[in-house]
Amino acid sequence: MEFVEVRGKSVEVAVAGALAELGIESEEQAEIEVISEGKKGFLGMGGEDAVVKVRPKPKKKRRRRRRGKGSGSGENSGQRSDQGTDTRGQSKPSSQGSRPKGEGQKPKRASSRPKPKSDPEPAKAEDLDEQTEIVESFLTGLIGAFGIEGEVTVETNKGAIEAAVAGEHSEALVGNKGAVMNAVQEVTRTVVQRRFHQPARVRVDVAGYRARRREALAIYAERLAKQVIDEGGEIMLEPMNPADRKVVHDTVGGIDGVESYSEGDDPRRSVVLSKTEAAAE
Amino acid sequence: MAQGEIVERVVRFIVREIVDNPEEVKVEIIEEGPDRVTAEVSTAKSDMGRVIGKRGRVANAIRTIAQVAAEEEGLEAGVEFLD
Repeated sequence: MEFVEVRGKSVEVAVAGALAELGIESEEQAEIEVISEGKKGFLGMGGEDAVVKVRPKPKKKRRRRRRGKGSGSGENSGQRSDQGTDTRGQSKPSSQGSRPKGEGQKPKRASSRPKPKSDPEPAKAEDLDEQTEIVESFLTGLIGAFGIEGEVTVETNKGAIEAAVAGEHSEALVGNKGAVMNAVQEVTRTVVQRRFHQPARVRVDVAGYRARRREALAIYAERLAKQVIDEGGEIMLEPMNPADRKVVHDTVGGIDGVESYSEGDDPRRSVVLSKTEAAAE
Repeated sequence: MAQGEIVERVVRFIVREIVDNPEEVKVEIIEEGPDRVTAEVSTAKSDMGRVIGKRGRVANAIRTIAQVAAEEEGLEAGVEFLD
């Protein structure tokens, strides 16, 4: 089975990108060869990309299809009702969740797409301050209840609250495909909404998961975009949540000769990449 | 440490933060077996809707988090919301 070769800011990022491309869920199912570790630049500049070669472990018959496999949206898995009967032998952290040291990424903000209509109006500044405090105290209390040593940082970004939980054991709160992290986000948002009686935009990242995933997703989207440019036609990705779709749209928006749009209804809404008219000669 | 202590603490913390009447929140741990517990949650009537959320979204989020709490103790946990 063929290898794919992927570059990334770090080995983890490159591996995550390769796994996403191959539609493999965990490192255990893959053979990974690190070609170059890359070099950390200063403040993200002047570094050298890491390069890895990855292929599925033999006997896992998995072929890349025309249909892009976009590492399913965590939001969905978070909704699964598991009544406690669900025993995914946790505590061995999922491969993606096991590396707390994600590197800061800068998503390309190329296109100014209309916001998903589910987005509430940005909150006022003084409300945001208060929301920030609520989120910080809730998350701090939550990890305290777990007995996890961790650090909570909360920032505001264009009317949205962005919280990050970092710490020794915090990846327990990421879960399979970010399911636990999304659950934490759901309850955090609920707490904010109770105090404000209006929708709030709250994102919670744990152990750098979201940042790493965004980066991996961008790498993956870029490769699919190149494929569409080379081979024509359209590629439909797996259904994703709005945040993930935005990463794909933003990435594709920065590449000439290919465009993206979304199709279907949440939670089964998918991004489609398509060669642009002009480029399709 | 009592069986399910972390589950109880975590579930109670979350639910109390969500409701309008935290003093009426009760969380009881039922031991279902050697390594399985159920947290039974009751709240003021007016609060239960929010705790469960639209289509059970919040309830399921709490279940997911409770399961992680249980794993800290090597347990499995379910959460029941009592009307």
